[in-house]
Amino acid sequence: MSTPLKIKLMKLPLLTAAGIGLFVCLNSCNPQYESPPSGETQAYVPVYKSDVEKSEITVSDARSTTNAGKIYAWGNYIFQNDQNKGIHVIDNSDRLHPQKIAFLNIPFNTEFAVKGSFIYANNGNDLVVVDIHDVKHPVVVKRMEDAFPYVEQKYPPQPGYFVCPDPEKGMVIDWELQMVKSPNCKR
Amino acid sequence: MKKSLLYILLLAVIIGAIQCQKSSTSSTTNAGSGGSTARFAILGNYLYTVDRENLKMFNISNVADPVLKNTVHVGFEIETIYPFKDKLFIGSTSVVHIFSVDNPEEPRKLSTAISPEVIRRCDPVVAKDTVAYATLRTNSMCGGTQSVLAAYDIKDVTNPIQQATFPVSEPYGLGYADTALYVCDRYGLYVFNIQKAFAPQLVKQIPNEWYMDVIPFNNTLICQMQDGMNLFDITKRLEPTLITKIK
Repeated sequence: MSTPLKIKLMKLPLLTAAGIGLFVCLNSCNPQYESPPSGETQAYVPVYKSDVEKSEITVSDARSTTNAGKIYAWGNYIFQNDQNKGIHVIDNSDRLHPQKIAFLNIPFNTEFAVKGSFIYANNGNDLVVVDIHDVKHPVVVKRMEDAFPYVEQKYPPQPGYFVCPDPEKGMVIDWELQMVKSPNCKR
Repeated sequence: MKKSLLYILLLAVIIGAIQCQKSSTSSTTNAGSGGSTARFAILGNYLYTVDRENLKMFNISNVADPVLKNTVHVGFEIETIYPFKDKLFIGSTSVVHIFSVDNPEEPRKLSTAISPEVIRRCDPVVAKDTVAYATLRTNSMCGGTQSVLAAYDIKDVTNPIQQATFPVSEPYGLGYADTALYVCDRYGLYVFNIQKAFAPQLVKQIPNEWYMDVIPFNNTLICQMQDGMNLFDITKRLEPTLITKIK
């Protein structure tokens, strides 16, 4: 077997893998649009930090879950995020009769962890520490501005049409899917 | 070259899996347990967070007053963090980064594993002693074959060896309690007996609902559902009994 052939054979798996990767990407991960939208179309719209009163962390009565998110267990409590809304608090002290007891309104919250009666949660791009010693009276004890910049600033999480973000309007803290007339960006 | 590709693939699977589950290491003192797709993880006196690109560590010795100690650029499109012993497994859409946190404020990058396209995103994994279980979800849009539950020998975490696979439908998170392994699926919850670690045996299927993630917590199995939460009594580990649904 000649040397060039050997090299070719050795490279085959790598080339195949690269080929498959390219194929997959071109075919499904980055859908191509054939024509620009006419009239209203579904598009992501940036939500700016300045649009939202982010310090409004409050407690309200237990409510039904609308967009179920991540879960966390701590002591006699179970928590479940309601995406971008806040955290459901479930009293599990009688574990055969767990009950929702409160809802912590934390706008643009998706992530959290709990230690020693304190919830560490993202409030948009901020990290807030909420004292829940008395869960019916939560107290924000610390806010760290922009400690958790997890929202992509330049484009939405999914490919497709979107409204181009305007840096002058400040930091983007969420992308909302809306019906938009002639969105000006595409990815 | 084939061998090395296989090696990278397996490593990526294991690590990708490991980093997705944090319920088995509820760490010290009074921290809780999270599910398998978290961006926040508590390990000892530190809160670790991953945003899109960076790993940050906050000293929470004073729980009310976290102090940012360090920020490390990890990579792009980071999605999950999983603390396992003294290591952090940080998953992105394509790559897994492994950091040692011997020194909690100075994480050392140990390695990076490249995940092939068929292993989609975060493929959750749990580690138990020297075995790791991962759900590998394929996606008809992006190729791949059968979705599986896979068991790996991880005596050497840098050299995981696949020992068994079990076909499942469309799996998500997973978790274990003693010899029971709970696997979330688009079409129900699978219960496996893992007394023989590398020969998981399906003992029960709880059908009809979309299970996203689980936290086995004492005698309760907490399930994140697509539309809320299901709680099961797992006093008998292999026979989950529904306590209630919370919506």
